[in-house]
Amino acid sequence: MSPPHQPTSINPNSLKIQLAYRFLHNLNNINTKRSNLDHTQINRKSHRVKVAAYASMAFVTGSRRAWSRSILRKIRNRGVLARIKKRVDHKASRVRVHHHLNARSTKRRNPSCSNPNGDYIDPSGNLGLEVKLRKLVPGAVMMDACGLLDETADYIKCLATQVEVMRTLVDLYSTI
Amino acid sequence: MSHELRNDPSLLERQQARMKWQQQKQQSFFNASDHTMQNMFSTSMPLAQTNETFTGLLSGHNGLDIVKPDPGLMEDWAGFGDHLSYGYMNQNSIMPLGADQSFVHGNSVSVSTSVTVSVSPKKRKADKGQSLEVVTEKEKKLKGCAEEGDSKITHQNSNNSDKATGDNKSSNSKGASTNTSSKDKSKVSEVQKPDYIHVRARRGQATDSHSLAERVRREKISERMKYLQDLVPGCNKITGKAGMLDEIINYVQSLQKQVEFLSMKLATVNPELDFNIDNVFAKEMFQPSTSEFQGLGCTSETPNPAYFQLNSLDQVYCGLDMGINSAEMALRRSLTAPMSIPETFMDSSCFNQILPSAMWDGDLQNLCKMEFEQGTLIPIQSHQYTGSNEGSNLKMEM
Repeated sequence: MSPPHQPTSINPNSLKIQLAYRFLHNLNNINTKRSNLDHTQINRKSHRVKVAAYASMAFVTGSRRAWSRSILRKIRNRGVLARIKKRVDHKASRVRVHHHLNARSTKRRNPSCSNPNGDYIDPSGNLGLEVKLRKLVPGAVMMDACGLLDETADYIKCLATQVEVMRTLVDLYSTI
Repeated sequence: MSHELRNDPSLLERQQARMKWQQQKQQSFFNASDHTMQNMFSTSMPLAQTNETFTGLLSGHNGLDIVKPDPGLMEDWAGFGDHLSYGYMNQNSIMPLGADQSFVHGNSVSVSTSVTVSVSPKKRKADKGQSLEVVTEKEKKLKGCAEEGDSKITHQNSNNSDKATGDNKSSNSKGASTNTSSKDKSKVSEVQKPDYIHVRARRGQATDSHSLAERVRREKISERMKYLQDLVPGCNKITGKAGMLDEIINYVQSLQKQVEFLSMKLATVNPELDFNIDNVFAKEMFQPSTSEFQGLGCTSETPNPAYFQLNSLDQVYCGLDMGINSAEMALRRSLTAPMSIPETFMDSSCFNQILPSAMWDGDLQNLCKMEFEQGTLIPIQSHQYTGSNEGSNLKMEM
Protein backbone atom coordinates (compact mmCIF):
# COMPACT_ATOMS: atom_id res chain seq x y z
CA MET A 1 0.00 0.00 0.00
CA SER A 2 1.32 3.41 -0.79
CA PRO A 3 2.60 5.26 2.22
CA PRO A 4 0.16 7.90 3.23
CA HIS A 5 1.23 11.29 2.03
CA GLN A 6 1.14 14.48 3.99
CA PRO A 7 -2.37 15.75 4.32
CA THR A 8 -3.23 18.98 2.62
CA SER A 9 -3.02 21.29 5.52
CA ILE A 10 -6.07 22.31 7.41
CA ASN A 11 -5.20 25.49 9.11
CA PRO A 12 -5.39 24.44 12.74
CA ASN A 13 -5.89 28.01 13.78
CA SER A 14 -8.85 28.69 11.58
CA LEU A 15 -11.87 30.02 13.36
CA LYS A 16 -14.03 27.16 12.26
CA ILE A 17 -11.80 24.48 13.64
CA GLN A 18 -11.28 26.26 16.90
CA LEU A 19 -14.99 26.73 17.25
CA ALA A 20 -15.64 23.10 16.46
CA TYR A 21 -13.15 21.92 19.04
CA ARG A 22 -14.51 24.11 21.70
CA PHE A 23 -18.11 23.41 20.92
CA LEU A 24 -17.62 19.68 21.02
CA HIS A 25 -15.77 20.07 24.25
CA ASN A 26 -18.61 22.01 25.75
CA LEU A 27 -21.19 19.57 24.48
CA ASN A 28 -19.26 16.76 25.97
CA ASN A 29 -19.22 18.56 29.26
CA ILE A 30 -22.93 18.91 29.09
CA ASN A 31 -23.34 15.23 28.63
CA THR A 32 -20.87 14.10 31.23
CA LYS A 33 -21.40 16.62 33.97
CA ARG A 34 -25.07 17.17 33.90
CA SER A 35 -25.96 13.58 33.55
CA ASN A 36 -29.08 14.06 35.59
CA LEU A 37 -30.69 15.47 32.52
CA ASP A 38 -33.60 13.56 31.26
CA HIS A 39 -33.73 13.00 27.58
CA THR A 40 -37.32 13.99 27.52
CA GLN A 41 -36.56 17.48 28.69
CA ILE A 42 -35.59 18.73 25.34
CA ASN A 43 -36.04 22.36 26.14
CA ARG A 44 -33.58 22.33 28.95
CA LYS A 45 -31.07 20.45 26.95
CA SER A 46 -31.46 22.65 23.96
CA HIS A 47 -30.97 25.64 26.18
CA ARG A 48 -27.78 24.14 27.50
CA VAL A 49 -26.62 23.41 24.00
CA LYS A 50 -27.30 26.99 23.07
CA VAL A 51 -25.35 28.23 26.04
CA ALA A 52 -22.55 25.87 25.07
CA ALA A 53 -22.56 27.33 21.58
CA TYR A 54 -22.30 30.90 22.80
CA ALA A 55 -19.72 29.89 25.36
CA SER A 56 -17.56 28.27 22.72
CA MET A 57 -17.86 31.35 20.54
CA ALA A 58 -16.84 33.59 23.37
CA PHE A 59 -14.04 31.32 24.47
CA VAL A 60 -12.49 31.13 21.06
CA THR A 61 -12.59 34.88 20.65
CA GLY A 62 -11.22 35.36 24.11
CA SER A 63 -11.01 38.77 25.66
CA ARG A 64 -10.27 40.60 22.49
CA ARG A 65 -13.80 41.64 21.89
CA ALA A 66 -16.35 43.30 24.10
CA TRP A 67 -19.10 40.91 23.13
CA SER A 68 -17.07 37.87 24.02
CA ARG A 69 -16.10 39.41 27.32
CA SER A 70 -19.69 40.11 28.20
CA ILE A 71 -20.77 36.59 27.31
CA LEU A 72 -17.99 35.13 29.41
CA ARG A 73 -18.97 37.36 32.26
CA LYS A 74 -22.57 36.24 32.05
CA ILE A 75 -21.55 32.63 32.06
CA ARG A 76 -19.27 33.06 35.01
CA ASN A 77 -21.96 34.89 36.88
CA ARG A 78 -24.34 32.08 36.23
CA GLY A 79 -21.78 29.61 37.44
CA VAL A 80 -21.18 31.61 40.59
CA LEU A 81 -24.87 31.86 41.27
CA ALA A 82 -25.33 28.16 40.76
CA ARG A 83 -22.56 27.45 43.20
CA ILE A 84 -24.07 29.79 45.72
CA LYS A 85 -27.37 28.07 45.33
CA LYS A 86 -25.85 24.70 45.97
CA ARG A 87 -23.80 25.67 48.96
CA VAL A 88 -26.19 27.65 51.06
CA ASP A 89 -29.46 26.74 52.67
CA HIS A 90 -32.40 26.90 50.37
CA LYS A 91 -34.15 29.88 51.87
CA ALA A 92 -31.00 31.78 52.56
CA SER A 93 -29.74 31.08 49.09
CA ARG A 94 -32.88 32.47 47.67
CA VAL A 95 -32.31 35.70 49.46
CA ARG A 96 -28.69 35.87 48.54
CA VAL A 97 -29.27 34.86 45.01
CA HIS A 98 -31.90 37.48 44.79
CA HIS A 99 -29.44 40.05 46.03
CA HIS A 100 -26.81 38.89 43.66
CA LEU A 101 -29.19 38.92 40.80
CA ASN A 102 -30.26 42.42 41.66
CA ALA A 103 -26.71 43.58 41.99
CA ARG A 104 -25.65 42.13 38.73
CA SER A 105 -28.70 43.13 36.84
CA THR A 106 -28.46 46.69 38.07
CA LYS A 107 -24.87 46.77 37.04
CA ARG A 108 -25.89 45.74 33.64
CA ARG A 109 -28.84 48.03 33.54
CA ASN A 110 -27.09 51.18 34.57
CA PRO A 111 -25.09 51.59 31.42
CA SER A 112 -28.22 51.39 29.36
CA CYS A 113 -29.93 54.01 31.49
CA SER A 114 -27.17 56.44 30.98
CA ASN A 115 -26.92 55.57 27.36
CA PRO A 116 -27.28 58.77 25.40
CA ASN A 117 -28.59 56.82 22.48
CA GLY A 118 -31.68 55.85 24.37
CA ASP A 119 -33.64 58.39 22.40
CA TYR A 120 -35.95 56.91 19.92
CA ILE A 121 -34.68 59.09 17.17
CA ASP A 122 -31.09 60.02 17.74
CA PRO A 123 -29.53 62.97 15.98
CA SER A 124 -28.45 60.99 12.98
CA GLY A 125 -32.05 60.05 12.38
CA ASN A 126 -31.60 56.32 12.72
CA LEU A 127 -35.00 55.74 14.27
CA GLY A 128 -33.62 53.72 17.10
CA LEU A 129 -32.02 51.16 14.85
CA GLU A 130 -28.74 51.66 16.55
CA VAL A 131 -30.33 51.00 19.90
CA LYS A 132 -31.77 47.79 18.54
CA LEU A 133 -28.39 46.71 17.31
CA ARG A 134 -26.84 47.55 20.61
CA LYS A 135 -29.31 45.30 22.33
CA LEU A 136 -28.65 42.46 19.95
CA VAL A 137 -24.91 42.46 20.15
CA PRO A 138 -23.90 41.58 23.67
CA GLY A 139 -21.77 44.06 25.48
CA ALA A 140 -22.13 46.79 22.93
CA VAL A 141 -24.52 49.01 24.81
CA MET A 142 -22.08 51.64 25.95
CA MET A 143 -20.13 52.07 22.82
CA ASP A 144 -19.65 54.71 20.20
CA ALA A 145 -20.93 54.04 16.71
CA CYS A 146 -17.54 53.13 15.34
CA GLY A 147 -16.84 50.54 17.98
CA LEU A 148 -20.37 49.23 17.70
CA LEU A 149 -19.93 48.51 14.02
CA ASP A 150 -16.62 46.83 14.71
CA GLU A 151 -18.14 44.61 17.34
CA THR A 152 -21.07 43.80 15.12
CA ALA A 153 -18.80 42.73 12.32
CA ASP A 154 -16.80 40.42 14.52
CA TYR A 155 -19.92 39.07 16.17
CA ILE A 156 -21.52 38.33 12.82
CA LYS A 157 -18.41 36.56 11.62
CA CYS A 158 -18.25 34.39 14.70
CA LEU A 159 -21.96 33.68 14.73
CA ALA A 160 -21.94 32.63 11.10
CA THR A 161 -19.05 30.25 11.69
CA GLN A 162 -20.75 28.80 14.73
CA VAL A 163 -23.93 28.25 12.77
CA GLU A 164 -21.92 26.44 10.13
CA VAL A 165 -20.25 24.22 12.70
CA MET A 166 -23.56 23.35 14.26
CA ARG A 167 -25.12 22.62 10.93
CA THR A 168 -22.40 20.17 9.96
CA LEU A 169 -22.68 18.53 13.32
CA VAL A 170 -26.39 18.12 12.91
CA ASP A 171 -25.82 16.62 9.49
CA LEU A 172 -23.24 14.28 10.90
CA TYR A 173 -25.48 13.12 13.67
CA SER A 174 -28.48 12.71 11.50
CA THR A 175 -26.66 10.32 9.21
CA ILE A 176 -24.92 8.16 11.76
CA MET B 1 15.68 81.46 14.39
CA SER B 2 14.69 77.93 14.03
CA HIS B 3 11.31 78.95 15.29
CA GLU B 4 11.14 81.49 12.58
CA LEU B 5 12.13 78.86 10.20
CA ARG B 6 9.10 76.89 11.17
CA ASN B 7 6.67 79.67 11.07
CA ASP B 8 7.94 81.24 7.97
CA PRO B 9 7.14 78.48 5.59
CA SER B 10 3.50 79.22 5.93
CA LEU B 11 3.92 82.72 4.75
CA LEU B 12 6.56 81.73 2.31
CA GLU B 13 4.49 79.07 0.80
CA ARG B 14 1.53 81.31 0.58
CA GLN B 15 3.62 83.79 -1.22
CA GLN B 16 4.93 81.07 -3.32
CA ALA B 17 1.47 80.08 -4.29
CA ARG B 18 0.64 83.59 -5.14
CA MET B 19 3.74 83.81 -7.21
CA LYS B 20 2.76 80.81 -9.18
CA TRP B 21 -0.56 82.32 -9.83
CA GLN B 22 0.94 85.46 -11.13
CA GLN B 23 3.52 83.49 -12.93
CA GLN B 24 1.07 82.32 -15.47
CA LYS B 25 0.45 85.86 -16.48
CA GLN B 26 3.89 87.34 -16.50
CA GLN B 27 6.34 84.77 -17.59
CA SER B 28 8.88 86.96 -19.28
CA PHE B 29 9.00 89.43 -16.53
CA PHE B 30 9.90 86.64 -14.19
CA ASN B 31 12.84 85.78 -16.28
CA ALA B 32 14.06 89.27 -15.98
CA SER B 33 13.62 89.36 -12.31
CA ASP B 34 15.22 86.04 -11.83
CA HIS B 35 18.60 87.55 -12.35
CA THR B 36 17.97 90.10 -9.71
CA MET B 37 16.88 87.40 -7.36
CA GLN B 38 20.02 85.50 -7.98
CA ASN B 39 21.96 88.55 -7.17
CA MET B 40 20.15 88.80 -3.95
CA PHE B 41 20.89 85.20 -3.30
CA SER B 42 24.56 85.77 -3.71
CA THR B 43 24.55 88.66 -1.34
CA SER B 44 22.71 86.73 1.25
CA MET B 45 25.14 83.88 1.23
CA PRO B 46 27.13 85.04 4.20
CA LEU B 47 24.14 84.79 6.45
CA ALA B 48 24.94 82.01 8.78
CA GLN B 49 21.54 80.67 9.44
CA THR B 50 20.44 80.50 5.92
CA ASN B 51 23.60 79.06 4.55
CA GLU B 52 22.62 75.51 4.75
CA THR B 53 19.20 76.25 3.52
CA PHE B 54 20.54 78.01 0.51
CA THR B 55 22.80 75.18 -0.40
CA GLY B 56 19.96 72.87 0.14
CA LEU B 57 17.73 75.01 -1.94
CA LEU B 58 20.24 75.37 -4.64
CA SER B 59 20.81 71.70 -4.72
CA GLY B 60 17.12 71.21 -4.69
CA HIS B 61 16.97 73.21 -7.85
CA ASN B 62 18.12 70.48 -10.02
CA GLY B 63 15.27 68.13 -10.12
CA LEU B 64 12.52 70.62 -9.85
CA ASP B 65 11.11 73.44 -11.77
CA ILE B 66 12.09 76.76 -10.43
CA VAL B 67 9.28 78.99 -9.57
CA LYS B 68 10.02 82.32 -11.01
CA PRO B 69 9.79 85.17 -8.62
CA ASP B 70 7.89 88.22 -9.52
CA PRO B 71 8.55 91.74 -8.63
CA GLY B 72 5.28 92.03 -6.85
CA LEU B 73 6.59 89.68 -4.30
CA MET B 74 9.61 91.76 -3.77
CA GLU B 75 7.38 94.60 -2.89
CA ASP B 76 5.80 92.45 -0.29
CA TRP B 77 9.16 91.70 1.10
CA ALA B 78 9.79 95.35 1.36
CA GLY B 79 6.64 95.48 3.35
CA PHE B 80 8.02 92.88 5.73
CA GLY B 81 11.16 94.61 5.19
CA ASP B 82 12.76 95.41 8.47
CA HIS B 83 14.46 92.10 8.89
CA LEU B 84 16.90 91.53 6.19
CA SER B 85 17.15 87.95 7.15
CA TYR B 86 13.43 87.72 6.93
CA GLY B 87 13.68 89.09 3.46
CA TYR B 88 16.14 86.39 2.64
CA MET B 89 13.81 83.88 4.09
CA ASN B 90 11.29 85.18 1.67
CA GLN B 91 13.73 84.57 -1.06
CA ASN B 92 13.86 81.08 0.07
CA SER B 93 10.21 80.88 -0.53
CA ILE B 94 10.87 81.29 -4.17
CA MET B 95 12.52 78.00 -4.20
CA PRO B 96 10.34 75.02 -4.80
CA LEU B 97 8.73 73.35 -1.95
CA GLY B 98 10.92 70.37 -2.21
CA ALA B 99 13.77 72.54 -1.20
CA ASP B 100 11.70 74.11 1.50
CA GLN B 101 11.45 70.87 3.20
CA SER B 102 15.15 70.58 3.37
CA PHE B 103 15.20 73.26 5.97
CA VAL B 104 12.03 72.29 7.66
CA HIS B 105 13.22 68.80 7.77
CA GLY B 106 12.97 66.41 10.60
CA ASN B 107 11.38 67.98 13.58
CA SER B 108 8.45 69.89 12.36
CA VAL B 109 7.21 67.57 9.72
CA SER B 110 3.67 67.63 10.88
CA VAL B 111 3.70 71.37 11.22
CA SER B 112 4.88 71.88 7.71
CA THR B 113 2.29 69.52 6.45
CA SER B 114 -0.39 71.33 8.25
CA VAL B 115 1.01 74.56 6.93
CA THR B 116 0.82 73.44 3.40
CA VAL B 117 -2.75 72.56 3.94
CA SER B 118 -3.42 76.00 5.22
CA VAL B 119 -2.11 77.34 1.99
CA SER B 120 -3.63 74.85 -0.29
CA PRO B 121 -7.29 75.43 0.42
CA LYS B 122 -6.80 79.03 -0.37
CA LYS B 123 -4.47 78.80 -3.30
CA ARG B 124 -3.84 76.01 -5.65
CA LYS B 125 -1.93 75.85 -8.82
CA ALA B 126 -2.99 73.07 -11.02
CA ASP B 127 -0.11 73.27 -13.46
CA LYS B 128 3.06 73.47 -11.50
CA GLY B 129 2.79 70.38 -9.50
CA GLN B 130 5.67 70.68 -7.17
CA SER B 131 5.27 73.12 -4.42
CA LEU B 132 1.75 72.95 -3.16
CA GLU B 133 1.00 69.46 -4.13
CA VAL B 134 2.64 68.06 -1.12
CA VAL B 135 -0.91 67.84 -0.06
CA THR B 136 -1.54 64.53 -1.67
CA GLU B 137 -4.54 62.36 -1.76
CA LYS B 138 -3.84 60.83 1.56
CA GLU B 139 -7.18 61.86 2.86
CA LYS B 140 -8.48 58.39 2.89
CA LYS B 141 -5.52 56.97 4.72
CA LEU B 142 -5.93 59.27 7.63
CA LYS B 143 -6.81 58.13 11.01
CA GLY B 144 -5.35 59.70 14.05
CA CYS B 145 -2.81 61.76 12.21
CA ALA B 146 -5.52 63.66 10.50
CA GLU B 147 -7.02 64.89 13.65
CA GLU B 148 -3.72 66.01 15.01
CA GLY B 149 -2.90 67.61 11.77
CA ASP B 150 -6.27 69.22 11.71
CA SER B 151 -5.84 70.90 15.01
CA LYS B 152 -2.48 72.11 13.89
CA ILE B 153 -3.96 73.32 10.68
CA THR B 154 -6.46 75.40 12.49
CA HIS B 155 -3.82 76.80 14.78
CA GLN B 156 -1.64 77.59 11.88
CA ASN B 157 -4.51 79.15 10.10
CA SER B 158 -5.25 81.38 12.98
CA ASN B 159 -1.61 82.24 13.46
CA ASN B 160 -1.04 82.93 9.87
CA SER B 161 -4.08 85.00 9.52
CA ASP B 162 -2.90 87.11 12.37
CA LYS B 163 0.51 87.58 10.94
CA ALA B 164 -0.37 88.09 7.35
CA THR B 165 -0.56 91.56 6.01
CA GLY B 166 -3.62 92.96 4.43
CA ASP B 167 -2.47 92.60 0.87
CA ASN B 168 -1.54 89.03 1.50
CA LYS B 169 -4.98 88.27 2.64
CA SER B 170 -6.55 89.95 -0.26
CA SER B 171 -4.26 88.22 -2.65
CA ASN B 172 -5.04 84.97 -1.02
CA SER B 173 -8.70 85.50 -1.41
CA LYS B 174 -8.22 86.41 -5.01
CA GLY B 175 -6.22 83.31 -5.46
CA ALA B 176 -8.88 81.33 -3.77
CA SER B 177 -11.56 82.58 -6.05
CA THR B 178 -9.63 81.74 -9.15
CA ASN B 179 -8.33 78.47 -7.96
CA THR B 180 -11.40 76.83 -6.59
CA SER B 181 -11.74 74.69 -9.63
CA SER B 182 -8.25 73.32 -9.32
CA LYS B 183 -8.83 72.71 -5.68
CA ASP B 184 -11.66 70.39 -6.40
CA LYS B 185 -9.63 68.19 -8.61
CA SER B 186 -6.99 67.84 -5.93
CA LYS B 187 -4.17 66.79 -8.14
CA VAL B 188 -1.24 64.96 -6.82
CA SER B 189 2.16 66.57 -7.03
CA GLU B 190 5.20 65.24 -8.67
CA VAL B 191 7.03 65.65 -5.46
CA GLN B 192 5.30 63.23 -3.14
CA LYS B 193 6.29 63.27 0.47
CA PRO B 194 5.12 60.01 1.97
CA ASP B 195 5.65 61.31 5.46
CA TYR B 196 3.02 63.94 5.15
CA ILE B 197 -0.57 63.11 5.74
CA HIS B 198 -3.28 65.67 5.62
CA VAL B 199 -6.91 66.06 5.49
CA ARG B 200 -7.96 68.22 2.69
CA ALA B 201 -10.76 70.55 3.42
CA ARG B 202 -12.97 70.21 0.43
CA ARG B 203 -14.61 72.98 -1.40
CA GLY B 204 -17.42 74.56 0.43
CA GLN B 205 -16.61 72.77 3.65
CA ALA B 206 -15.53 74.30 6.87
CA THR B 207 -11.92 73.93 7.78
CA ASP B 208 -12.19 74.06 11.52
CA SER B 209 -11.00 71.18 13.56
CA HIS B 210 -14.41 70.07 14.66
CA SER B 211 -15.86 69.53 11.25
CA LEU B 212 -12.68 67.90 10.02
CA ALA B 213 -12.70 65.51 12.92
CA GLU B 214 -16.35 64.89 12.26
CA ARG B 215 -15.54 64.05 8.70
CA VAL B 216 -12.84 61.62 9.70
CA ARG B 217 -15.23 59.95 12.09
CA ARG B 218 -17.90 59.72 9.45
CA GLU B 219 -15.45 58.17 7.04
CA LYS B 220 -14.46 55.61 9.61
CA ILE B 221 -18.06 54.69 10.08
CA SER B 222 -18.68 54.42 6.37
CA GLU B 223 -15.62 52.22 6.03
CA ARG B 224 -16.98 49.88 8.64
CA MET B 225 -20.36 49.89 7.01
CA LYS B 226 -18.73 48.76 3.80
CA TYR B 227 -17.02 45.94 5.59
CA LEU B 228 -20.31 44.92 7.10
CA GLN B 229 -21.85 45.03 3.68
CA ASP B 230 -19.42 42.34 2.62
CA LEU B 231 -20.22 40.24 5.64
CA VAL B 232 -23.95 40.39 5.40
CA PRO B 233 -25.11 38.60 2.29
CA GLY B 234 -27.33 40.41 -0.14
CA CYS B 235 -26.52 43.92 0.93
CA ASN B 236 -24.90 45.16 -2.20
CA LYS B 237 -27.80 47.17 -3.42
CA ILE B 238 -28.60 48.93 -0.22
CA THR B 239 -26.74 52.16 0.16
CA GLY B 240 -28.31 54.10 2.98
CA LYS B 241 -27.04 53.83 6.48
CA ALA B 242 -30.49 53.16 7.88
CA GLY B 243 -31.18 50.44 5.36
CA MET B 244 -27.87 48.82 6.06
CA LEU B 245 -28.47 48.91 9.77
CA ASP B 246 -31.84 47.32 9.22
CA GLU B 247 -30.29 44.52 7.20
CA ILE B 248 -27.60 43.99 9.77
CA ILE B 249 -30.11 43.77 12.55
CA ASN B 250 -32.19 41.29 10.62
CA TYR B 251 -29.16 39.21 9.84
CA VAL B 252 -27.99 39.10 13.44
CA GLN B 253 -31.46 38.15 14.58
CA SER B 254 -31.70 35.41 11.98
CA LEU B 255 -28.31 34.04 12.97
CA GLN B 256 -29.29 33.93 16.60
CA LYS B 257 -32.51 32.16 15.75
CA GLN B 258 -30.58 29.66 13.68
CA VAL B 259 -28.31 28.96 16.62
CA GLU B 260 -31.32 28.34 18.78
CA PHE B 261 -32.94 26.08 16.24
CA LEU B 262 -29.80 24.10 15.62
CA SER B 263 -29.18 23.68 19.30
CA MET B 264 -32.63 22.27 19.68
CA LYS B 265 -31.94 19.91 16.82
CA LEU B 266 -28.67 18.87 18.35
CA ALA B 267 -30.35 18.24 21.64
CA THR B 268 -32.90 15.96 20.06
CA VAL B 269 -30.74 14.16 17.58
CA ASN B 270 -27.88 12.74 19.52
CA PRO B 271 -27.87 10.27 22.33
CA GLU B 272 -25.11 10.69 24.89
CA LEU B 273 -22.45 8.26 23.98
CA ASP B 274 -22.29 9.23 20.42
CA PHE B 275 -20.69 12.44 21.45
CA ASN B 276 -17.60 10.65 22.61
CA ILE B 277 -17.23 8.60 19.51
CA ASP B 278 -17.68 11.58 17.38
CA ASN B 279 -15.21 13.45 19.43
CA VAL B 280 -12.77 10.68 18.84
CA PHE B 281 -13.26 10.92 15.16
CA ALA B 282 -13.33 14.64 15.24
CA LYS B 283 -10.07 14.87 17.04
CA GLU B 284 -8.47 12.50 14.65
CA MET B 285 -9.77 14.42 11.74
CA PHE B 286 -8.51 17.69 13.01
CA GLN B 287 -5.01 16.60 13.63
CA PRO B 288 -3.35 17.83 10.49
CA SER B 289 -0.17 15.85 10.38
CA THR B 290 0.84 14.31 13.58
CA SER B 291 3.70 12.00 14.10
CA GLU B 292 1.63 9.06 15.09
CA PHE B 293 -0.11 8.83 11.78
CA GLN B 294 3.15 9.05 9.97
CA GLY B 295 4.56 6.41 12.20
CA LEU B 296 1.67 4.17 11.40
CA GLY B 297 1.99 4.57 7.70
CA CYS B 298 5.71 4.47 7.19
CA THR B 299 7.01 2.01 9.68
CA SER B 300 4.99 -1.06 9.28
CA GLU B 301 7.56 -3.02 11.21
CA THR B 302 7.20 -1.22 14.47
CA PRO B 303 6.13 -3.55 17.18
CA ASN B 304 3.03 -1.91 18.46
CA PRO B 305 1.57 0.55 16.05
CA ALA B 306 -1.80 0.23 17.67
CA TYR B 307 -0.33 0.92 21.05
CA PHE B 308 1.46 3.82 19.52
CA GLN B 309 -1.75 5.13 18.18
CA LEU B 310 -3.63 4.64 21.39
CA ASN B 311 -0.97 6.49 23.26
CA SER B 312 -1.07 9.34 20.86
CA LEU B 313 -4.81 9.46 21.04
CA ASP B 314 -4.53 9.66 24.76
CA GLN B 315 -2.14 12.55 24.49
CA VAL B 316 -4.48 14.27 22.14
CA TYR B 317 -7.33 13.93 24.51
CA CYS B 318 -5.38 15.02 27.52
CA GLY B 319 -4.12 17.96 25.67
CA LEU B 320 -7.61 18.92 24.79
CA ASP B 321 -8.95 18.51 28.29
CA MET B 322 -11.17 15.77 27.13
CA GLY B 323 -10.00 13.58 29.88
CA ILE B 324 -8.85 10.09 29.31
CA ASN B 325 -12.19 8.87 30.44
CA SER B 326 -14.04 9.71 27.33
CA ALA B 327 -11.34 8.29 25.15
CA GLU B 328 -11.15 5.14 27.14
CA MET B 329 -14.85 4.79 27.12
CA ALA B 330 -14.96 5.10 23.41
CA LEU B 331 -12.01 2.88 22.90
CA ARG B 332 -13.32 0.23 25.21
CA ARG B 333 -16.56 0.24 23.41
CA SER B 334 -14.74 -0.02 20.15
CA LEU B 335 -12.31 -2.67 21.28
CA THR B 336 -15.02 -4.94 22.45
CA ALA B 337 -16.09 -5.07 18.86
CA PRO B 338 -14.21 -7.40 16.56
CA MET B 339 -11.34 -6.73 14.24
CA SER B 340 -13.01 -4.00 12.32
CA ILE B 341 -12.50 -1.40 14.96
CA PRO B 342 -8.73 -1.01 14.66
CA GLU B 343 -9.35 -0.77 11.01
CA THR B 344 -11.73 2.04 11.54
CA PHE B 345 -9.11 3.87 13.55
CA MET B 346 -6.59 3.24 10.88
CA ASP B 347 -9.09 4.15 8.27
CA SER B 348 -9.88 7.42 9.83
CA SER B 349 -6.23 8.26 10.03
CA CYS B 350 -5.74 7.36 6.42
CA PHE B 351 -8.82 9.21 5.56
CA ASN B 352 -7.47 12.15 7.41
CA GLN B 353 -4.42 12.07 5.30
CA ILE B 354 -6.23 11.63 2.09
CA LEU B 355 -9.24 13.83 2.42
CA PRO B 356 -8.60 16.31 5.15
CA SER B 357 -10.21 19.28 3.60
CA ALA B 358 -13.23 17.44 2.39
CA MET B 359 -14.72 17.53 5.83
CA TRP B 360 -16.02 20.97 5.84
CA ASP B 361 -17.44 20.65 2.42
CA GLY B 362 -20.18 18.58 3.85
CA ASP B 363 -18.58 15.28 3.04
CA LEU B 364 -18.79 14.05 6.56
CA GLN B 365 -21.29 11.51 5.39
CA ASN B 366 -18.83 10.32 2.82
CA LEU B 367 -16.29 10.03 5.54
CA CYS B 368 -18.39 7.56 7.40
CA LYS B 369 -18.93 5.55 4.28
CA MET B 370 -15.32 5.60 3.30
CA GLU B 371 -14.23 4.26 6.62
CA PHE B 372 -15.94 1.01 5.94
CA GLU B 373 -14.74 0.92 2.38
CA GLN B 374 -11.15 1.46 3.27
CA GLY B 375 -11.14 -1.45 5.56
CA THR B 376 -10.65 -3.62 2.53
CA LEU B 377 -7.89 -1.52 1.07
CA ILE B 378 -5.52 -1.91 3.92
CA PRO B 379 -5.22 -5.56 4.64
CA ILE B 380 -1.54 -5.43 5.48
CA GLN B 381 -1.77 -3.01 8.30
CA SER B 382 -4.65 -4.80 9.84
CA HIS B 383 -2.38 -7.77 10.33
CA GLN B 384 -0.25 -5.78 12.62
CA TYR B 385 -3.25 -4.79 14.55
CA THR B 386 -4.16 -8.38 15.03
CA GLY B 387 -0.66 -9.08 16.22
CA SER B 388 -0.57 -6.28 18.70
CA ASN B 389 -4.13 -6.31 19.79
CA GLU B 390 -3.40 -8.19 22.93
CA GLY B 391 -0.72 -5.73 23.84
CA SER B 392 -3.08 -2.87 23.22
CA ASN B 393 -5.78 -4.51 25.26
CA LEU B 394 -3.41 -4.82 28.15
CA LYS B 395 -2.50 -1.18 27.84
CA MET B 396 -6.08 -0.19 27.74
CA GLU B 397 -6.98 -1.91 30.89
CA MET B 398 -4.23 -0.19 32.70
